[in-house]
Amino acid sequence: MDFCEEQLARVRPLWERMLAHRFLRETRDGTVARETFANWMRQDYLFVEAAIPFLAALIPKAPAEDWESLSGVIGALQKELKLFEERAAAVGVTLRGTPPSFVNHAYIQFLLATAYRASYAEAYTVLYAAEKAYHDSWRVVEKGIDRGSPWYPFVENWAGEAFAQYVAFLEQRLDALAASAGAGERARMAELFELTTRYEIAFWEMAASGEGWPGVEA
Amino acid sequence: MARAFTDELFEAGRPIWEAQLVHPFVRGIADGSLPEELFKNWVRQDYVYLIEFARVFAWAAAKADRLETMSWHAKALDLTLSGEMALHRQYAARFGIAAGELEKVPMWPTTRAYTDFLVRTAADGDLADLTAALLPCAWGYVHIGQRLAEARPPKDQRYADWIAQYASAEFAAAAEWLKAETNRLAQGVTAEKRARMRDLFVLSSRYEWHFWQMCWVGEEFGPRSGAFPPAAAPVRPSPRD
Repeated sequence: MDFCEEQLARVRPLWERMLAHRFLRETRDGTVARETFANWMRQDYLFVEAAIPFLAALIPKAPAEDWESLSGVIGALQKELKLFEERAAAVGVTLRGTPPSFVNHAYIQFLLATAYRASYAEAYTVLYAAEKAYHDSWRVVEKGIDRGSPWYPFVENWAGEAFAQYVAFLEQRLDALAASAGAGERARMAELFELTTRYEIAFWEMAASGEGWPGVEA
Repeated sequence: MARAFTDELFEAGRPIWEAQLVHPFVRGIADGSLPEELFKNWVRQDYVYLIEFARVFAWAAAKADRLETMSWHAKALDLTLSGEMALHRQYAARFGIAAGELEKVPMWPTTRAYTDFLVRTAADGDLADLTAALLPCAWGYVHIGQRLAEARPPKDQRYADWIAQYASAEFAAAAEWLKAETNRLAQGVTAEKRARMRDLFVLSSRYEWHFWQMCWVGEEFGPRSGAFPPAAAPVRPSPRD
């Protein structure tokens, strides 16, 4: 069994919990509160912004044959930021000025620390798991959302065919990286796959609950 | 005399630093009432935290702009790995935790987030950023240790030793050096850079508070826990409290 298939089978209970999250269900059914969705937009905008240096930090670790595809992802992320800006302007949401929530901050630090400290294959695992999680999550929303919904352009972006092909490309590449990895590296890749899945669930939960940063304020 | 930059930092982080001093975990060490199981949480999580903290000293040595800084961080790296972590192993033994168990301790979500934040800052920040992010741990523990040492020591010798360790002259000297280094690095920089250093200092201070909270309430990345962090009770004291 290839690495991605094996990992998706291993984390299946978590993955199903992610796909069953109320944020996705309510977005699909059109019952999500506008402010809840706006909160998700503000937080995810920050996350997409941070994903750009994450991708960039992979390039020095990557074999030269991967540089073009990684640069392509950076370009796509920049377009994704524009999608957020366009939607925010259309529905009157202010994207800027909200600090990252605790979960978002932790997830962003996880991305970057992994890119700096871990191997290429390990960091690539996080990239794949996060993108696959997004594709599968938004496909849940796609099955039933009103096409006239102001949120539909997000669904089109992540549940669409182009994104599906991109995720399939990442999967193929990660399987190849895993096939040439030693047992120790594969074990670390598996751990990162699971951790990314947990952060994805936590991200939906943060979006739905509107939780900022619990604890003491400065 | 002009106010030191670290005084500004202390002011910026004051509500969080004060909340740490009254946190039930810290109070429990102070009066000796902290349940042993909860202290074991700290020993385990702080041990794996220190592995990454040490890594950040290595990064600081690599980014140092002068020999004194390079040398200090190299010593701090060694002291963390062979000194402070050895003390943790001794505490672990006194609390019935096997030394071999420590390195295998799974990081809880808050430890993970805090250490990822430090490693990320060490990697993509400069020496000033990195020093500002390191400071709340080094200075904070001494601050807490010294404050607790002003009162009568707890009856439980293990907690009394913990307070004495962090209130010791050796730890205090390290904190003072890092404060002076922070002030040096904050000289002649733009207001934006100082604001960035302040933000990093406050972020680490917030993580310090979360670390006590994590040890107090417990966390997990286990099979039942998808949420992150699973059990951080909101505490929002008013500045007037």
